[in-house]
Amino acid sequence: MTDLFVARDLCKRFGGLQALRNVDVVQRAGETLGMIGPNGSGKTSFVNAVTGELALDSGTIDFAGRDITGVRPHKVARAGLARTFQAVRIFARLSVRDNLQTAMLVLDDAANSLEAEERVELLHWLKLDHRLDAVAGSLTLFEQRRLELAMRLMMRPQLIMLDEPVGGLAPGEIRAMMQILNELKARCSIFVIEHTMRVIRELADRVVVLITGEKIADGPPVDILKDQRVIEQYLGTAHA
Amino acid sequence: MRRYLRSAITPQLLLLLAAAIALAVVVSGNRFFAFVLGITMISILWAAGMNLLTGYTGLVSLAFAGIAGISAYGTVGLVMRCGWSFWLAMPVAVLGAAVVGVLLGLPSLRLKGFYFALSSLVIQTVLSLGFVYFIGLTNGDTGISQIPPPDIPLTGVSFHGIGFDLLLTFAAWLSLAATWAIAHSPFGRRLVAIREDEVLAEAIGIDVIRNKMLVFFVGSLYAGVGGALYATYVGFASPRSFDLLSSLSIWLMVAFGGRGTFMGPVVGALILAPVPFMLQQYDTLKDVIYGALIIAVIVLMPGGVYGTLLAYVRRLPSLKRYLSKQRGGVPNDGSVRRS
Ligand SMILES: Nc1ncnc2c1ncn2[C@@H]1O[C@H](COP(=O)(O)OP(=O)(O)O)[C@@H](O)[C@H]1O
Ligand SMILES: [Mg+2]
Repeated sequence: MTDLFVARDLCKRFGGLQALRNVDVVQRAGETLGMIGPNGSGKTSFVNAVTGELALDSGTIDFAGRDITGVRPHKVARAGLARTFQAVRIFARLSVRDNLQTAMLVLDDAANSLEAEERVELLHWLKLDHRLDAVAGSLTLFEQRRLELAMRLMMRPQLIMLDEPVGGLAPGEIRAMMQILNELKARCSIFVIEHTMRVIRELADRVVVLITGEKIADGPPVDILKDQRVIEQYLGTAHA
Repeated sequence: MRRYLRSAITPQLLLLLAAAIALAVVVSGNRFFAFVLGITMISILWAAGMNLLTGYTGLVSLAFAGIAGISAYGTVGLVMRCGWSFWLAMPVAVLGAAVVGVLLGLPSLRLKGFYFALSSLVIQTVLSLGFVYFIGLTNGDTGISQIPPPDIPLTGVSFHGIGFDLLLTFAAWLSLAATWAIAHSPFGRRLVAIREDEVLAEAIGIDVIRNKMLVFFVGSLYAGVGGALYATYVGFASPRSFDLLSSLSIWLMVAFGGRGTFMGPVVGALILAPVPFMLQQYDTLKDVIYGALIIAVIVLMPGGVYGTLLAYVRRLPSLKRYLSKQRGGVPNDGSVRRS
């Protein structure tokens, strides 16, 4: 299997706080990679650093065989690495349709823009087709998360990084979202952050555990669950 | 781009042009009213440019009049000193002003909302000082008078009277057509995305820096064309014509009418541009009225006159379908917006 995404030795410090400490992460093509860790352990910072939102102190990032270290966010997105935000981010005052059409601009000039049928199918799958004229800010959180996802898929990403995609959802919605994410695997590779093990165990082929900016474990979910350090430092609190 | 230009020739726009021409002809008998209308047309042009920056992109540029001034002094200098035709001098000066507009905008590329407005205010102040200081080019506070009107190429005569009024009318209309085309183009969509959320815009592949520089350039073109027309129409240019108050009053036209709506700034300019002429005898009163209007608009009608009207009309189901096809504007729910 080839490496889709390689982060080497990432370091980031905010004043006196070391948010990322020599973090190495490799994601292979076709693999779903999970990242867990308690709040404040640096998961969002990791995604921000990878997608160019955050300038690294040191380290390198390769994506699809290209060095994307220090590349600005819009170029990372154009290269096929999309990301969502922990606090859902949509154009709240615009209609769902305008949100989607804005996201489609990226491929407007490229030849590989989504065909009309593909768009219809995508919106049908995410159950957004009846909400196109609604103001995006008036959607429920679950609908907003689906809209966010649809906007990214309009860009035909190779890899999508999801920052706590089930955060704030009701239990029934979480199950529906898990199903969506399982189906999403057929469309692109997934990197998913969660701070509960339950979601990761179901979705991910492999898990990276981050604690206070340091990677302390990396392996299949079953092994991670048995890892003594993970149990001690993290799982005990997360299950509470 | 052709596609978007063609889409600009809509029935509404043609109607607007017809109405403006009719108005110009009707008032042409009275030089005072004709002059007020001419200034109003330049104001519409300026408001359209300010609307691109403020309404669509969400950047309040208080250096707008200063950029207009650079183009005005440039045009006047090239015409009066170098003997250039207006039609050669104006494009050169406008391009120069637009390049200056982009360069001056560079430091504020990362700024938003209040901080962007503040930095543009500083730039306007510096430009105003420059207009006073470079006496050799601007004749300082005294100003330049007896500026000739634009020539009609190859005829040996100049635009005057109703001819000049119609020229301004056409320029104003052209600026609206251009704004319409931009608002309906991918560029216009990108500007709205930047206004709504820069971080999200970048995450979906929009080059925020590049598009902001582009809109600085395009906005400065509007400012510049208006500046060159203003100086030659009035026949006089002084630093006061292109000061902070001028920038503010153009912003007010946009905000008063309705930011980010196509017709709002036109309505704002039509209502506000004549005000100074009505109150010529009461100069202090004019400033008080302007101040009161600024506060009233911000507090009572964040969507502006036209924007608020549009919000009411949008609630009528029969019009909903038609209006939902018009994009670019901010869906106004009457709530106070962040800017
Ligand atoms: N822009 C920032 N400036 C300063 N500190 C930050 C910034 N972003 C994150 N942090 C800090 O870095 C640490 C890691 O945060 P984050 O990456 O959001 O963790 P997680 O997503 O795992 O909850 C936290 O202590 C947070 O307060
Ligand atoms: Mg986080």
